[in-house]
Amino acid sequence: MSDAATASPHHDDPQFLKEEQKKYFTFMNLAFLMTALTGIELVIIFLPFPGSLLIFGSLIFLSLVKFVGVIFWFMHLIYDKKLLTVIFLFGMTLAAGTATALMFLFSESHVDQELPFYQEGLIQEAQDESGP
Amino acid sequence: MSSPAAEAHAHAAEHPVEHMPTGLNTKKLIMWLFLASDCMFFGTLITTHLIYRKIYANLGVDPIEIFDIELTTASSFILLMSSLFMALAVSAIHKGNVKSFRWNLIGVIVFGGLFLAGQVYEFNHFVHYSGLTLESGTFGSTFYLMTGTHGVHVALGILWLLSWLIYSYTPRFNSAEHAIDVETAGLYWHFVDIVWIVIFTAVYLIEYV
Amino acid sequence: MKSETTFQSTTMAPPVESPVHEPPVDRPAGRPRSNIGLVRPDGRGFLVDWLTTVDHKKIGIMYFVFAMGFFLVGGIEALLIRAQLAVAENNLVSPQTYNQLFTMHGTTMIFLAVMPLSSAFFNLLIPLQIGARDVAFPRLNAFSLWTFVAGAVIINLSWFFQAAEALGWFGVAGGHTDMVPAVGWFGYAPLTMTEYSGIGTDFWIFGLQVLGIASIAAALNFIVTIINFRAPGMKMMRLPVFTWMTLITSLLIIFAFPPITVALGQVMFDRFFGTSFFNVEGGGQPILWQHLFWIFGHPEVYILILPAMGIISEILPTFSRKPLFGYSLVVFSGAVIGFLGFAVWSHHMFTTGLGKVATAAFSLLTMAIAVPTGVKIFNWIGTLWGGRIKFSVPMVLALGFIFMFMMGGFSGIMHSSAPADAQQQDSYFVVAHFHYVLIGGSILAILAGTYFWLPKFTGRMWYGSLGYWMSGLVLVGFNLTFFPMHFLGLIGMPRRTHSYLEGTGWQPLNIVCTIGAFLLAFGILLFLIDLIRTVRKGPPAGNDPWDGRTLEWSIPSPPPVYNFAKTPVVKARDALWADKHGSSRQKLGGVESGSHGIHMPSNSWMPLVASAGLLLVGVSMALKQAGVPFCGYLAIGGLVITTVGIYLWALEGPGGYHLHPRPNEGGARS
Ligand code: HEM
Ligand SMILES: [Cu+2]
Repeated sequence: MSDAATASPHHDDPQFLKEEQKKYFTFMNLAFLMTALTGIELVIIFLPFPGSLLIFGSLIFLSLVKFVGVIFWFMHLIYDKKLLTVIFLFGMTLAAGTATALMFLFSESHVDQELPFYQEGLIQEAQDESGP
Repeated sequence: MSSPAAEAHAHAAEHPVEHMPTGLNTKKLIMWLFLASDCMFFGTLITTHLIYRKIYANLGVDPIEIFDIELTTASSFILLMSSLFMALAVSAIHKGNVKSFRWNLIGVIVFGGLFLAGQVYEFNHFVHYSGLTLESGTFGSTFYLMTGTHGVHVALGILWLLSWLIYSYTPRFNSAEHAIDVETAGLYWHFVDIVWIVIFTAVYLIEYV
Repeated sequence: MKSETTFQSTTMAPPVESPVHEPPVDRPAGRPRSNIGLVRPDGRGFLVDWLTTVDHKKIGIMYFVFAMGFFLVGGIEALLIRAQLAVAENNLVSPQTYNQLFTMHGTTMIFLAVMPLSSAFFNLLIPLQIGARDVAFPRLNAFSLWTFVAGAVIINLSWFFQAAEALGWFGVAGGHTDMVPAVGWFGYAPLTMTEYSGIGTDFWIFGLQVLGIASIAAALNFIVTIINFRAPGMKMMRLPVFTWMTLITSLLIIFAFPPITVALGQVMFDRFFGTSFFNVEGGGQPILWQHLFWIFGHPEVYILILPAMGIISEILPTFSRKPLFGYSLVVFSGAVIGFLGFAVWSHHMFTTGLGKVATAAFSLLTMAIAVPTGVKIFNWIGTLWGGRIKFSVPMVLALGFIFMFMMGGFSGIMHSSAPADAQQQDSYFVVAHFHYVLIGGSILAILAGTYFWLPKFTGRMWYGSLGYWMSGLVLVGFNLTFFPMHFLGLIGMPRRTHSYLEGTGWQPLNIVCTIGAFLLAFGILLFLIDLIRTVRKGPPAGNDPWDGRTLEWSIPSPPPVYNFAKTPVVKARDALWADKHGSSRQKLGGVESGSHGIHMPSNSWMPLVASAGLLLVGVSMALKQAGVPFCGYLAIGGLVITTVGIYLWALEGPGGYHLHPRPNEGGARS
């Protein structure tokens, strides 16, 4: 059965040990890269282009890179059977698609601005009540 | 120790061929399926938050005033490091290096704990200094439920890994047999990390653009 | 170790006299203990055995029995509803009770009857159809069963609190007098907020939440089983269609349930912690609940129908003595239905004002989803075409399914047009639609499946003509009940209405509906009678009474605990049919189990313990809302029990023993 293929001990298989050693460096490099990306993320939001599509796009791109880094290397997807990637990306795509559709379905113009919480800023009030 | 969601078909190796060989480990397969399903779970939580941010963009709480982005960045870094340790722990146990496995696992647990501590500090700060509570309109509701649920996932992950750490000192522990269980727990841990990668961008950073 | 044998073909299997198979057992001497030193509950009395079993067949039977019980409860609720509506301005039940009845009827039928009945078929059939010893995670399977029972009990316990309230033994701090869910099966906000509904809503929230855990756990288990536990040679495109539909249904479950889990959690927070997810005063948008609910809700209707389609796709070829027409197309359509099912949810919300673009898009996608549904119907008709049709009871019901389901499909397409739906939304027309697909679809298929597989799992054959009378009565009663509802809807009768006025013109058709409902109920009663008398004194069924096509018919009836004495080696689609009637290259092979016999896992208490904790959590949280003291602690206690259960489960290890099937007992063909 398949369990045997992946779970059996490889302790003294030199080929296996060499590969694991290579993985070690891959993981390290990836972690450094992702740390750097997180740093960049923090810096670019303070760049003086408020509301810029470029910054917005970069943020999405950077987090996507981190995301891909974790699932493919830390979570071994590139070393594993393709089906696992298919399963996960299916769930991911479904979630992203549903989220996108929902974001389009809601807009500020649908909100009844006559509602009391809107007029009185009630949402705010809860915050003001309990100051420091 | 085999976790409940990862109860193996025991003695598989000693039986003759019983199944179509798919090359997929049963425990890893169920974990990946669970994670795919969890995408919908966190997707819904995050989307709820974003929807209310979208329709009440100019109403109520101004997140920039309460967020402490440096702290959150540090938290993100911490969780990232824990993920690195997790990957190394899995690699170590596959190599049969129990000592290195334990140290790396301790690294994961410590960094996971730090992340949680950061979250406790953050929540505490929000409640007491910014007055943001569960009852502060939609922002308080969606923010706390989403990040809180993520925090619970982290806490469960810590509990799971801590159990493995303790179990690794018992006589039943066998690195060859249990490597796959640890790897499965690791998948869960990394997933919690990627959820945070998404939350960090979609909930925190975006507010500053 | 590995040996392949080819089995002799025999046309008539010898009748099985004793339903019990007890091959020699290899157990460690004395009382076997688990890794943590607890005595394993193996080989004990009847009750302990059923409570701790990890055998998919026993679990399947329990799913069936529990679900049938809830099917009856839901049916009684339906009859009360129909009795109330029989005449105008009736006051048989109060409006409050009426709301509770339709809510509990819908919730029960969907979550506690049809879904677990499908689960019963998954459990009984999947390992047998793919030639496996059991599911991938047997204890997780037991956990799914007991968690389903826990969720069902949570929801239905509410009736007892309502009774206590009526007797003056129990009251609620907040002043609400309703203890039973009364917010409709889709629990629209803001009705679920504390201002508008009592602890019934809490029972409903926690019950559904627990049921969700059960469904997701089971679904994960079956996906893994179908992918990884297929017998040698059982390629994906050789899987029986029922197995395919189980796979797709399970995928739908794991992706559709998380959104409702989150949404229910949000309602719970609104009720317990004053959040504003759907609470209008704090800025919450009730419409968001509708979206989240239907993102789950539409895939859910396919979760209810795909297993039924799978059952029908097994029965039609068997009784037409022809392979299924267009196997790949049927499988592919199932997958398309499943996938598209996630993109049509807003067709339940056409009248909420989604905006032109969204309405048009969801309308088109809904029309599109009818295409693969239609394809399946044509494939079934193609299967019948030119076949040597045998009108056995399962076949009669299956033919009924095709016709009735098609009618439901037609009204579905009418809904898909947004302007037309504006007339139909929330009227009895919709009630007619979904009962045609649910009773005419799911329930007829489940009845058909029961008659089809009953001989396999009881070892006894149903007899006489009661089955035909039952089928006729169910079909007539069903149509009498629901066909008039199309007209009632079109002449303006709204759904979920407690009573109606004299002059509305709805009276005549309503009385017809009520008569039909009682006929239908009588039909179901006949079904139960037939079921019980078959189990008690049906003649021996033999291994393969229908000249079946799939592997479950290759083993004795009822199947031995270990299923297959030799792991079958599959050479063709419709594996058993090919073995019996195909070329010599298509004969089933068999892999011997080896000298130490067949490994069987031990029974376990832990799944039951873990589920029991969830039961405690659900009930005490609902009572906490009612102001009962210490319930918060009880809920925490429940969580502790579940956690301890899971830890012990992990630590005890699967254990196990070995069985040695006697020669020529339970081979791929015996
Ligand atoms: C040809 C395929 C189908 C189409 C186009 C279709 C379309 C629709 C539409 C548009 C509605 C909303 C009606 C309204 O509320 O105004 C609806 C309701 C419903 N459908 Fe279908 N449907 C189809 C098949 C099914 C199937 C197979 C099932 C389940 C087995 C099902 C179960 C339901 C249920 C339960 C409702 C009512 C939900 C509620 O409001 O409580 N439908 N359908
Ligand atoms: Cu729908």
